[in-house]
Amino acid sequence: MSFVTVISAAAIGLDNPIAARELAHACGADIDWVVQLVEVGIVEVKLPTAQPDQWQFYSPDLHRALEARRLERDFGVGLDAAALILDLENEVRRLKAVLQAQGR
Amino acid sequence: MEFKDYYKTLGLQRGASDDEVRKAYRKLARKYHPDVSKEADAQVKMRDVNEAKDVLGDKEKRAAYDALADRVAKGGNADGSFQPPPGWDEGFEFHRGPGQGPADHAEFSEFFSSVFGRGEHRGAQSRKYRARGEDQHAAIEISIEDSLKGAERDITLRALESDATGKPAIVSHTLRVKIPAGVHPGQFIRLSGHGLPGEGGEGAGDLYLEVRIAPHALYRVEGSDLYMTLPVTPTEAALGAQVQVPTPTGGVVEVTVPPSARSGLKLRLKDRGLPGKPPGHLYLLLDIALPPADTDAARKAYEQLAQAAPFNPRRHLGVGGA
Repeated sequence: MSFVTVISAAAIGLDNPIAARELAHACGADIDWVVQLVEVGIVEVKLPTAQPDQWQFYSPDLHRALEARRLERDFGVGLDAAALILDLENEVRRLKAVLQAQGR
Repeated sequence: MEFKDYYKTLGLQRGASDDEVRKAYRKLARKYHPDVSKEADAQVKMRDVNEAKDVLGDKEKRAAYDALADRVAKGGNADGSFQPPPGWDEGFEFHRGPGQGPADHAEFSEFFSSVFGRGEHRGAQSRKYRARGEDQHAAIEISIEDSLKGAERDITLRALESDATGKPAIVSHTLRVKIPAGVHPGQFIRLSGHGLPGEGGEGAGDLYLEVRIAPHALYRVEGSDLYMTLPVTPTEAALGAQVQVPTPTGGVVEVTVPPSARSGLKLRLKDRGLPGKPPGHLYLLLDIALPPADTDAARKAYEQLAQAAPFNPRRHLGVGGA
């Protein structure tokens, strides 16, 4: 049996950020974990001193948070090490894009 | 539907210890990591490995899976196809342990959802707590044209539900998603209330779709910017020229190539990339294409150029010209 529902989707962006509790829920975590992500610099907020419920996050933050959660869960790494791994992954992807642009 | 051998997926024997499951998973997760693996189907293999680990790494699911495997071994279908026997999972209750994030169950196989989907749901019901449903994650690939103009995509979600007679049946639910224009790779689209159902009267979770852009013959995407290689002749590069360039929206614009342009020079067409706030740009990377010297006249023209404009491109290497 199959039925179709038509829905308009919202892309997460400047006009449509997600809140800290939504970021936490998307990663199967709680808001204290998001606070730790901010502390180690895995995600950034404009006003770190503001209350977490005032923070806003965007697609790159969700991507990094999900990846950090996966590293934590699958490899048992701490968030500091996860931050380093994520930075190295970004650098690898950037260098690969440069090589691709140069046709190598 | 085929019965999935999760032990084989992880390269393990049936009696493998929890530690062996964890080690095998970590080894394969490194092997098929998208930034490391050179195998074309690494993404598919990683999904299979994740699915196998989700089951074998969980005591309850593993016990149920082993029991099911025994029943299948005793009396499977002759053609090798598989359907979970009615009531096979009585006595088992599946749930996710603390610290486990939402697994990418939306991308797992039909086998997984038919075997474990109902058990997870029933397990949550039996605990009688109130909780919003978990969010789910999946990826969606669209073309650059779709990203520029917006598009509609059908996503089929599967769930095991009881029919009118109480018999379990796989129900397909298709979401026709209207994707807004201007989405770029890595951006997430949120479908509110289309994740897993909530418990105790709480709402369903959300479904997050990560946007991937399919490779394009002309354009490459970086964030909201587009890159295109623009071939020019040596004459156009040396003297400067007005050349025509196709734009991703289907139009053609005239672009000024400055005199003495070198290969790799980047020209920017402001706001001609993916739409958005702010819109991306279209970057043109100059590539000097040599006319073939395949006629007497062309060869003579090259010789005349060499005489008229003596040039040693290897001077910085400390060697002479031709």
